[in-house]
Amino acid sequence: MDITESLQTAQDLLNQWTSGMSTPDISRLDVTLAPKDLKPAVRILQKAHWGYLSAITGLDHPPLPVLPDDKQLAKEGTVEMLYHFCEGAAILTLRVSVPYSRPVIPSICEILPYASLYEREGIEMFGVTFRGTPNTEHFVLPEDWPNGVYPLRKSFTGFNKPAQSPTNPGLKSA
Amino acid sequence: MEAKVVPQKFIVPIGPQHPALKEPGHFEFTVEGEVITGATVRLGYVHRGIEKSTEDRNWVQNLYLLERICGICSHIHATAYVLGVEALAEVTAPPRAQAIRTLVCELERIHSHMLWLGVAAHEGGFDTLFMYSWRDRETVMDLLEGLSGNRVNYSVNVLGGVKIDVDEKQAASIRKGIDFLKERTTYYMKVVTTDETFLGRTRDVGTMSYDQADALAAVGPTARASGIPRDVRSDAPYAAYPQFPINVITAKGGDLAARFVVRINELFESYRLIHEILDKLPVGELTTRVPRRIPENEVISRVEAPRGELFYYLKSNGSEKPERIKVRTPSICNWATVMNFAVGLKLADMPMILAGIDPCFSCSDRTVVINRTNQSQVWSWEDLRQYGIKYYR
Repeated sequence: MDITESLQTAQDLLNQWTSGMSTPDISRLDVTLAPKDLKPAVRILQKAHWGYLSAITGLDHPPLPVLPDDKQLAKEGTVEMLYHFCEGAAILTLRVSVPYSRPVIPSICEILPYASLYEREGIEMFGVTFRGTPNTEHFVLPEDWPNGVYPLRKSFTGFNKPAQSPTNPGLKSA
Repeated sequence: MEAKVVPQKFIVPIGPQHPALKEPGHFEFTVEGEVITGATVRLGYVHRGIEKSTEDRNWVQNLYLLERICGICSHIHATAYVLGVEALAEVTAPPRAQAIRTLVCELERIHSHMLWLGVAAHEGGFDTLFMYSWRDRETVMDLLEGLSGNRVNYSVNVLGGVKIDVDEKQAASIRKGIDFLKERTTYYMKVVTTDETFLGRTRDVGTMSYDQADALAAVGPTARASGIPRDVRSDAPYAAYPQFPINVITAKGGDLAARFVVRINELFESYRLIHEILDKLPVGELTTRVPRRIPENEVISRVEAPRGELFYYLKSNGSEKPERIKVRTPSICNWATVMNFAVGLKLADMPMILAGIDPCFSCSDRTVVINRTNQSQVWSWEDLRQYGIKYYR
């Protein structure tokens, strides 16, 4: 199957759910989905044997700063998860956006068990809740990482260095 | 009333520390007797926050950072990155640069596969093969050093091209080195396919069928050993692979023996390709100009690392720094496969099976066996390795 044919098949399969499609380049198709439609979309791809899930990329879209004289309401920050499926040279990306206030996406591990590692990464790096994911333990972050700190969100710029203790017991001479 | 015999269930955590090997990881196997009933993995002991760091560096600085993701396949990371950035900037590196990139990719694959051959043999207790393959691997390390000046981070790529050229003298020494390795590789193939002791540890061990590998989205030689012809070099050719196509190597067995055969056959394929590239090296410039600021866009760059598909997602925002870079390494895919198909296999086979996927793995100096009464026994990775070797004695 050549690229155009593969992407056409994907487009036909997903047409019923999508709220937007684009082809950023000749080998790619981007499909925007509502979180509730992700599972049926992944299921239909799996049933049709359309490629494999190659990666899940997280993107943080922080709220835009509102100028004092701007009449517009502050837009809430969102997290976007990109599910990249590859079939030969064709790449299909399912784009799912969730707001900071309710960052919940259904887990796809029921359909693709190997997605567990990527979902664990999404949980700790972006603070997304994958409803129904089998393992929510840390994947790469340390056990004592503070709750609610998501390093790949733009708002995270590192921790302040701990204040120097005037009497560091480790440095005392015996 | 008859007493119910409940088989002892153990949890075997393996890892994370092993300063001698490549990277630390922690695996926890639940076993009943010898058979594994559950497996999980925990990584991150050397997590350096590279994806986050890229957002604070410019496009040129990131090349040096990303090349250091992996010490074994450094060049392929740099290649995936430069190809992605060039696509964002809408420039193409000159043909000679693309051919040199491809040449170094294949030299890197040879050193990586030979390193793997040694590690995998060592985990099975075949230390002679380990020493032979690592001794011979020095040949390709010397070739890489002769070309680039470096053994590890060759730093061959720059945005828009390469910074090294290949002259006739270097080409001659590469040809000579490759011919020597070809002869040695023929010998390795004979050992891994005919030595009965070796086959006793690999034949029908850790078998992953075509359907399993497909369902678990295996990549690289792990997938190809199960008969899946999945190779980015052929599926979506990049750099100079459109001009120098490869033959995708597969095997049907899906067991450890097949993973050996696939990787060794890939060595032969790399030798052939290197000769072809050197014979038909295009003439011309080595670099083209890439702007400092990259227009806003996003691209996906996929390449075939020695371990399988390496996936880069790059998003630019019009500035000198990237908005987001996502790196998905092939080992992540293959971890997922091994954690899923480990169930039902023997604990004694795990060292070789883990080594068999060629994880950028490292492992585990400390293995702790905990039984139900909370008595624990501390094992090292070496203990587990010895356990596997003794089991098969």
